[in-house]
Amino acid sequence: MNYLILLPQIILVAIAMLIPAIDLYFKDKTRILPYLAAGALGVSLLILSIFTGIIPLEIFDVTIPTSLFGGMLVVDRFALFLQLLFGMVTFFVVMASSSYIKQYDRNQGEYYSLLLIATVGMMTVAMANDLITLFIGLEVASISSYALTGFRKNSKKSAEAAMKYFIIGALSSSIVLYGISLFYGLTGTTDLAQFGTQLQNIDPSQDGLLAMATIFLIAGFSFKVAAAPFHMWAPDVYQGAPTTITTFLAAASKKMGFAALFKVFLFGLIAFKADWAIAFGVMAALTMTVGNLAALKQEDLKRMLAYSSIAQAGYIMMALAIATQYALGGALFHILTHAFMKTGAFIIVAMLSVMLIGSKVGDLRGLRIKSPITAFCMAIMMLSLAGIPPLAGFASKFVLFSSAIDAGGWLIWLAVVAVINSAISLYYYARVLKEMYVLPTDHIPIRMKEPLAMLIPVVLTTAAVIIVGLYPEPFIDAAMDAARALIP
Amino acid sequence: MIPLNYYLVLSAMLFCIGVYGVLTKKNAIYVLMSIEIMLNSVNINFVAFSTYNGDMSGQVFALFSIALAAAEVAIGLAIFLLLYKRHGTVELNNIRILRW
Repeated sequence: MNYLILLPQIILVAIAMLIPAIDLYFKDKTRILPYLAAGALGVSLLILSIFTGIIPLEIFDVTIPTSLFGGMLVVDRFALFLQLLFGMVTFFVVMASSSYIKQYDRNQGEYYSLLLIATVGMMTVAMANDLITLFIGLEVASISSYALTGFRKNSKKSAEAAMKYFIIGALSSSIVLYGISLFYGLTGTTDLAQFGTQLQNIDPSQDGLLAMATIFLIAGFSFKVAAAPFHMWAPDVYQGAPTTITTFLAAASKKMGFAALFKVFLFGLIAFKADWAIAFGVMAALTMTVGNLAALKQEDLKRMLAYSSIAQAGYIMMALAIATQYALGGALFHILTHAFMKTGAFIIVAMLSVMLIGSKVGDLRGLRIKSPITAFCMAIMMLSLAGIPPLAGFASKFVLFSSAIDAGGWLIWLAVVAVINSAISLYYYARVLKEMYVLPTDHIPIRMKEPLAMLIPVVLTTAAVIIVGLYPEPFIDAAMDAARALIP
Repeated sequence: MIPLNYYLVLSAMLFCIGVYGVLTKKNAIYVLMSIEIMLNSVNINFVAFSTYNGDMSGQVFALFSIALAAAEVAIGLAIFLLLYKRHGTVELNNIRILRW
């Protein structure tokens, strides 16, 4: 056993514990807390990149995959890929928070502390190889997110969003837990690696129970990833939460739900693929259609992006219907690019509210003069989300859709639905471009100053979107490596 | 020894009562209590299966789930307190700023 591989998580937890204490002793909190949190995340990202071999240094004596605590946690390529992604999103969120969270905001220590703890929870889900650790990771991340959603204590919207998120989240957790308990009863184990073999030799009379347990897990996890018909909470929560937290929820928290789904279904229950693949296929088609159609008429930017996030979840869910290594690689690649796009887009929305521009689609008018660089980055994000080549969104959608074609059969129709949906989505993404670049303004806009701490993550994610789009091979390879760890 | 089925029926009934409560009750505290009932029904399942399978991991899971349920109640009550301060009510029907 080599606990060194948990070093990134240990650093994050240690700093998360330290931050509330430091919060008590310093007057000028906005100066120190974000840097501390960002520093911790930066160090753990560095260590993770050394583990994965992105930075070719042989400092740490670790082997991949490493199994810890009697197989409760397994750190493989899949886990490292997602850990890097969660760490990166949180890093950007913390950077943006340093100008979004104001000097007068109370409880800043808790804010950064909870962000780090939620990240560790997500990383645990990515590592989990047992339903116990999977559920604990899920809950650690969810409970922290409920509190973060209600962070703006003097805002009615924030309180309402926290309430909705809490009730839906707790409900879905108990549904997942009930499903897990039925699986435990059927197999006598909570170890995902033993699920396949244990379920092969259950009595045929218990098939009904197995089906029920599967349905419970699908329903519970679908709440977490906001897949239709369990998506109604997402737009409300995304709109009401502080925008930096919305970024975190859309770019990281939702991906955690997918990590859990991939672990349970593509690793634990892959032998029963024929039974659940069709359910995910129908849900994927429904989710992308509902998300895209509802996004068409939204006036609020955050709400529009929330529905677009639901639609993107539908694309990622296709991988569960296809359930091949290639599809999982495509889904992980799309998770990566979608994390970049949504982080960038939501931080831009946060930036607009800090610059007092507003968060309606119509408020974007004249942005090309008010802040040309923001307008350009927003345009790149929107085009990428719509899947216009040569941007990252196109590359990942291409891999994902081609894996559906590759699998053949009814999955080709799923790919067709996905392509039609991409075309529909272009309408509302293009509307943002039209507001920014085409429509005339009624008064002459003046050049505004952007908050630097938010501009940096926006520019970085935009650069990432362009680079991944132009040069996707290494990223696809990394995603395929990660997929190989789960589906050999 | 009481047959396993009795436990399962009890837990299924409790779970259904919980779901019914979450779906129909309009008061946030009722909803929180219903969620607690759902989580506790799962614990009955775990302990019953654990005893009948002769495997301890179910009881470990039940302990973890009790701890997590406690954390969830703590955060839930804090959120409802905040809700009461901002909206002056915890009747869920009366709280609807965010609408699609």
